[in-house]
Amino acid sequence: MPNQSPPTRYSAVAQGFHWIIAALIVVQFSLGWTAEFLPIGARKLARLDWHKSFGMTILTLAVLRLLWRLFNRPPELPPGMTKFERQAARATHVLFYVFLFVMPLTGWMMSSAKNYSVSWFHQFTWPNLIGPNEQAFNLLRSTHDTLSWLLFAVAILHILAALKHHFWNKDDVLKRMLPFTKSEKRS
Amino acid sequence: MRRLFLAGTAAILLSAAAAAAGAASYTADPQQSRLEFVGVQAGAEFKGVFHKFTANVDFAPDTLAASRIEVQIDMNSVDSRDTDRDTTIRGKDIFDVAHNPTAHYVTKTITKTATGFSAVGALTLHGVTKDVPIDFQFVPAAAGATLTGKAKLNRLDFGVGQGDWKSTENVGDGVKINFSLVLKPKT
Repeated sequence: MPNQSPPTRYSAVAQGFHWIIAALIVVQFSLGWTAEFLPIGARKLARLDWHKSFGMTILTLAVLRLLWRLFNRPPELPPGMTKFERQAARATHVLFYVFLFVMPLTGWMMSSAKNYSVSWFHQFTWPNLIGPNEQAFNLLRSTHDTLSWLLFAVAILHILAALKHHFWNKDDVLKRMLPFTKSEKRS
Repeated sequence: MRRLFLAGTAAILLSAAAAAAGAASYTADPQQSRLEFVGVQAGAEFKGVFHKFTANVDFAPDTLAASRIEVQIDMNSVDSRDTDRDTTIRGKDIFDVAHNPTAHYVTKTITKTATGFSAVGALTLHGVTKDVPIDFQFVPAAAGATLTGKAKLNRLDFGVGQGDWKSTENVGDGVKINFSLVLKPKT
């Protein structure tokens, strides 16, 4: 069917990507931010070990998600949104995709620069992206750290916007991303 | 009878002298020689080197009984391309360089193998002495020889890793050693 009309809900695949990655990001924040306050030692190493394995999982999912997204259009934004709201929504979503790549990549490069190769749950080791370099590590570390705060801010904005759509506008923007719900068909 | 005894003694002395003469004496050139270790941390391998070590080698392929390899390592010279990790490794829970500043290796027996040579030697590391086998190649060069080889050991056999570092979850027990000695004749 050529002129297929856009879907009214996010598909199961889109929802799967969204919620699995969202959950992993929550895990990443709790591991990353708590590891930062631990002294150098076995506990910090173990926590960052998990952080790296989950980070590489997110990066892999991000690649798959982007590929999938290129061939599958999402449902359209509800009518009645202003131009600014549409642009803000679009910008937020684009930013999320950027974060999904930049966060793991800066983390991966950080590990490489410090000569700590990244393992994936002790199953295999990813290649180093750059050679050992302390200056590069310090720069990447502050970048990774700053971006984590930005991601946190964008995530809060995203959540507030979804809640505003649901409770204030009373549209199906939130519901169509929720499994086990039904969205009303728009004509 | 007495003549036989004299002849026997002379024969033993002669063969010992021949062996000593046959096994040329070398020292490793510190600039060109390399002593590397490969550990496993957080599921991924990492490499480090010891910058300071001395090696004295008496070796001739046909007088293995008179051949020996002796290496003394300055444990403080460990370099894993990360100062945080190096400081931790030198600390009391791992190398404890304050109490065990050097490691020492000396071969007991050397035998010929299909691909080169193998030796069993006593390694004193972290104040603990245990036998560690090595495999190596000996290649005569214009002015000296090169001796390259490898070994495997378990760090916990030597008590390397106390406290949190006893666990093999974060840091593996097995450590690989690679060495490449550029030998110059002793003057």
